[in-house]
Amino acid sequence: MENTLAAPQPPYAIDAVALGVRYNLRLTRQTTVRSSFRNLLKRAEGPTDFWALRDVTFRVVHGESLAVIGPNGAGKSTLLQVLAGIIQPNEGEVEVVGQVSSLLTLGAGFDQDLSGRDNIRLAGAFLGISHREMEALLPGIVEFADIGEFIDASIKTYSSGMRARLGFAIATAVDPDVLIIDEVLATGDAVFREKSKERIIRLTKAAKGIVLVTHDMNWVTEFCNRAMLLDHGHVVLEGDPAEVVRLHQERSEQSRIEREAELARKLAGAKSTQPTATG
Amino acid sequence: MSSTATARSFRAARKQSSLGLIVEGFREIWSRRRLTGYLVRADLHKHGADTLLGNVWWLLDPLLQMAVYVILVSVIFQIKKDDYPLFIFCAILPWKWFATAVNDGITSVTSRERIIKQVKFPKIVLPVSATLGGIVNFAFGLIPLFALMLLFYQPRISATILFIPLIAAVQFVFSLAISIIVAGINVFFRDIANVARHALRLWFYLSPALYEFSDVAGKGHGAFGVLLSLNPWTPLFESYRAVIYNGQQPYWGSLAVLLLGSFVLLAGATLFFKRVEPSFAKVL
Repeated sequence: MENTLAAPQPPYAIDAVALGVRYNLRLTRQTTVRSSFRNLLKRAEGPTDFWALRDVTFRVVHGESLAVIGPNGAGKSTLLQVLAGIIQPNEGEVEVVGQVSSLLTLGAGFDQDLSGRDNIRLAGAFLGISHREMEALLPGIVEFADIGEFIDASIKTYSSGMRARLGFAIATAVDPDVLIIDEVLATGDAVFREKSKERIIRLTKAAKGIVLVTHDMNWVTEFCNRAMLLDHGHVVLEGDPAEVVRLHQERSEQSRIEREAELARKLAGAKSTQPTATG
Repeated sequence: MSSTATARSFRAARKQSSLGLIVEGFREIWSRRRLTGYLVRADLHKHGADTLLGNVWWLLDPLLQMAVYVILVSVIFQIKKDDYPLFIFCAILPWKWFATAVNDGITSVTSRERIIKQVKFPKIVLPVSATLGGIVNFAFGLIPLFALMLLFYQPRISATILFIPLIAAVQFVFSLAISIIVAGINVFFRDIANVARHALRLWFYLSPALYEFSDVAGKGHGAFGVLLSLNPWTPLFESYRAVIYNGQQPYWGSLAVLLLGSFVLLAGATLFFKRVEPSFAKVL
């Protein structure tokens, strides 16, 4: 694709400054009129806001692959959604240079009743890729996904592995400048894992910025230039992958020990009150 | 491709002017027409593939509904009206499209929850494709209509039926506006579908569908008569009936007013939708 920008490209792919994302707990999951009235009445009770991300500042320069790690609920997925432009930040600013591909959980946007081929076209249309470009990409996607004649069968008949393969093939085929991926490296069989590894490494080398969320610490230390540890929406540490992974593992170990101690206390407490407790 | 090789920045608290949002919404509808096309096709595919008789239901459904009203009005209430089956068919056909547009519009955004949380795209295409999908349904319904006229009501056939697409165009703009509004509301209040079911039924009975405007207007119905003349469905039903049943010109004046009003409503609906759109991914 021709670059028609007059101004020189900035040296970074992603520039995030003091990002903050706030969730309004009252609005979220407010499913009925009745429950919203109930919430209105209970206005004074409890916290209404929840910061999923706060003060997150980082840069991804060209060719860099940034791994975002952290415990569940740390704000990793929210961060990816902000980078993809799906959620607008409440604070701060983020600039993403170039075309972004963001099938965050691969294959989730598939339409069950359509064939694999039609789903590729639909995904392309959702991503805003022109029809001509998508038709040109189609053979490559079909080949990479390697699902044989099933490509013309409805997605309903696919195994989860086939779905993941197709999703990965679509997300990475569009040749994005910035690739945002959420927990996809563990999908598929060993052969496909190898293939996807290869492709991600190739994309990284092609001077693309990558941000990925994963629990695969080997991948982080092996293939990412940088890592960022998030917890409770804040950046705990950012830098050398090995170092960040070490801290993450220490912290997970620590919290596991604490949880076990807590559990043991509870069990002990339950035992001592057994005569009176009924269940 | 539009978003290539440009710096995209997402700032906090970016407020856009109302007019800017409306223009942006319309532009999105136009630029993403291919996505809309795919969504409509996917939807039709689903409707055709899920049932035993598939698309045959599109022909049978309005006929069966017609039979129900004929039994109710002609047999039970003993109300005499010439060629009542055709009379009622003129109303059932457009109303089915409208009801489908509203009902599909309600769930159009919430049913795409997963892709909304994963891909940035203009969500307004969802209610638009829900409304467009009904056109095919409507077009299929014209087949039993013409069959009915050829077989039983040949004297009523007139060139005025060629005005049907014009009336349908007015109906489309109106339906689209309603569909966009309910799609946005349903994200925040999921029980709107229950309300809509009853509201639509009441609306149908309060519109000149089973009866004529002249049967009611100026006959001591007072408030109801006024309500009827303000009802957008009055010019629509009366016009459809004029061109199909009576072989007359549609009510051009009322249709023009309705079209104008529908465009204003559509602008308002688009503005509302664009205002709430940024919070979809968070609330869903």
